[in-house]
Amino acid sequence: MTGRSEADRLKQESTLMRMVRRPEAGAFIVMIVVIVAITLASDFKAFNALGLKNNMAIIAQFGIIATGAALLMIAGEFDLSIGSMIGFAGMSMAMMLKWGLPFGLGEATPLSAFLITLAMTLTFGWIIGTIVVRSGLSSFIVTLAFLFFLRGLTEVCFRLINQSTQISGLPDFKETSWFADLFGGEVFGWFYDLWFLLGGNAVTRGSRAGEQLVTGFDARLLWWIIIAGLAYFILSRTQIGNWIFATGDNKEAARANGVPVNQVKIGLFMTTAFCATIFAACQVFDTNTADAAKGNLKELEAIAIAVVGGTLMTGGFGSVIGVVFGAVTFGLVANAVFYIPWIDGSFYRVFVGVVLLAAVFANERIRKRITGGI
Amino acid sequence: MAQPYLRVEKLVKRFGPFTALSGVDLDVWPGEVHALLGDNGAGKSTLIKTLSGVHQPTEGQIYIEGKPVTFRTPRDAAAAGIGTVYQDLALNPLMSVTRNFFMGRELKGMFGMLKMDEMDKVAHDEMLKIGIDISDPGQAVGTMSGGQRQTLAIARAIHFGAKVLILDEPTSALGQKQQMEVLRTIKTVRERGDIAIIFITHNEIHSKLIADRFTFLSLGEVIGAGTKEELAGDDIRRLMAGGAEIEDLAQMLA
Repeated sequence: MTGRSEADRLKQESTLMRMVRRPEAGAFIVMIVVIVAITLASDFKAFNALGLKNNMAIIAQFGIIATGAALLMIAGEFDLSIGSMIGFAGMSMAMMLKWGLPFGLGEATPLSAFLITLAMTLTFGWIIGTIVVRSGLSSFIVTLAFLFFLRGLTEVCFRLINQSTQISGLPDFKETSWFADLFGGEVFGWFYDLWFLLGGNAVTRGSRAGEQLVTGFDARLLWWIIIAGLAYFILSRTQIGNWIFATGDNKEAARANGVPVNQVKIGLFMTTAFCATIFAACQVFDTNTADAAKGNLKELEAIAIAVVGGTLMTGGFGSVIGVVFGAVTFGLVANAVFYIPWIDGSFYRVFVGVVLLAAVFANERIRKRITGGI
Repeated sequence: MAQPYLRVEKLVKRFGPFTALSGVDLDVWPGEVHALLGDNGAGKSTLIKTLSGVHQPTEGQIYIEGKPVTFRTPRDAAAAGIGTVYQDLALNPLMSVTRNFFMGRELKGMFGMLKMDEMDKVAHDEMLKIGIDISDPGQAVGTMSGGQRQTLAIARAIHFGAKVLILDEPTSALGQKQQMEVLRTIKTVRERGDIAIIFITHNEIHSKLIADRFTFLSLGEVIGAGTKEELAGDDIRRLMAGGAEIEDLAQMLA
């Protein structure tokens, strides 16, 4: 026998090769291409002071729900109820703020409206998760049921209590309540102050010419950073992260080694419900409106972003960083029509379709490489 | 070494009207490989599942170091030092060696943070101890050979306190060379002297190469048992065939 062993067959790779093979590499390249293309096509308007604020707002929205969806997908399940959950949470908060707390408990404050809504959405998440793990049914079908159920419930509640499927003209709570300001206010004002000091970010026309144009990013940017940061930390650095990967890869193997597979899944269904509630809170407290159609189709965009970010449809593999890149890409393209007047807005969906398909192929290649072609 | 680590007396397991095991005796000594042989349906799987706490015995008693024990769950059995490596190995192909090694029993510090460096080192060292030097503990298990995966599963069971290692057909579904790799791993574990190994196989040659003691099962009963010295080669072959003579089998085919 020679000194050769199985271990010698694993080629040591350079750091560069390892980077290229990471799940988020494809998403990173697509993101760079999109940033460059939109910057040039919009004649830099997409990244002027106002453009950056508006782009970050939609990117953060996508990022918040896609992070929850990606964690759940890594654990091997889908949640199609995210969009309806957003609609339900927004309705619930706006309704309480307009008509008062249920059971005649008096006036609602932004804090109480949010907490009661969160309690309800987390309960829905728990119910969905429990049904999925107890019944062994596909989460696709169980959450599809909740997609209809929650949307219908939202519309019924609106019509019964409010006589209309919209609420608008709520008081501007973010002016009076610190809690509403957390969701609807502005953050990172220093960034725009600095930009103004450096000579940019100024009103160019009219009576206010020369004054500072933009005062800060929407608060949802901070929420996205917090949620994505926490998700990254939990997934890649903690025991629960290892359980999430193990659950999605081969749940019988995970169970045999003592991983609480069911609790992991239920917890992640509650996480997607939490993300949907944060999404809705940012929307309600920013615009002081709610609408029964809010969040429509958002679940599919969240899943698409997770996949473009390198998350495997079959579970067990994925990256929060990739989802960040995916959210940036999707947000920029969704908003592109505002900065590039000559393109049709529906190109967004054409783009999503093409990129999604390409990403699925790329992910499948990664999976085959790792599992040795099985 | 006055007593076997694991002793099974008159173990009976019935599933409704079906008797899977009818009065099986088994002694397993530390530092020995105990081959458990028998045809499909002989009751091997039922026996190891009973020993691992998956099934509860209908009658009979299991002893660990002379003390009677009852396993209600696989967790009970694992706590008593029974480590079972099933055929599917309970590994996750997309995850790294280290993450598989510590799956469900991660070393964690503050905020549930994984002690990745320490875990990498333990996984590497434990596998090296039984004969495989993996160059990269961050390697995905899916890229490893069947023999390496088997070694990983065995090293994991030992690290987490197995005193009796139950290996369910570890050499089946492997190529010739990898089979030898696994047998060498089993030999290394035996040489430690403190671990008893129950080696389930269909392969007469493998069992003869490595086992110190044999138990043959057929239709839920022990039809032969003894040490390597007590059993002559022909006995082993005859018992493997469920007590039939090879000549009889040849006749059946004729």
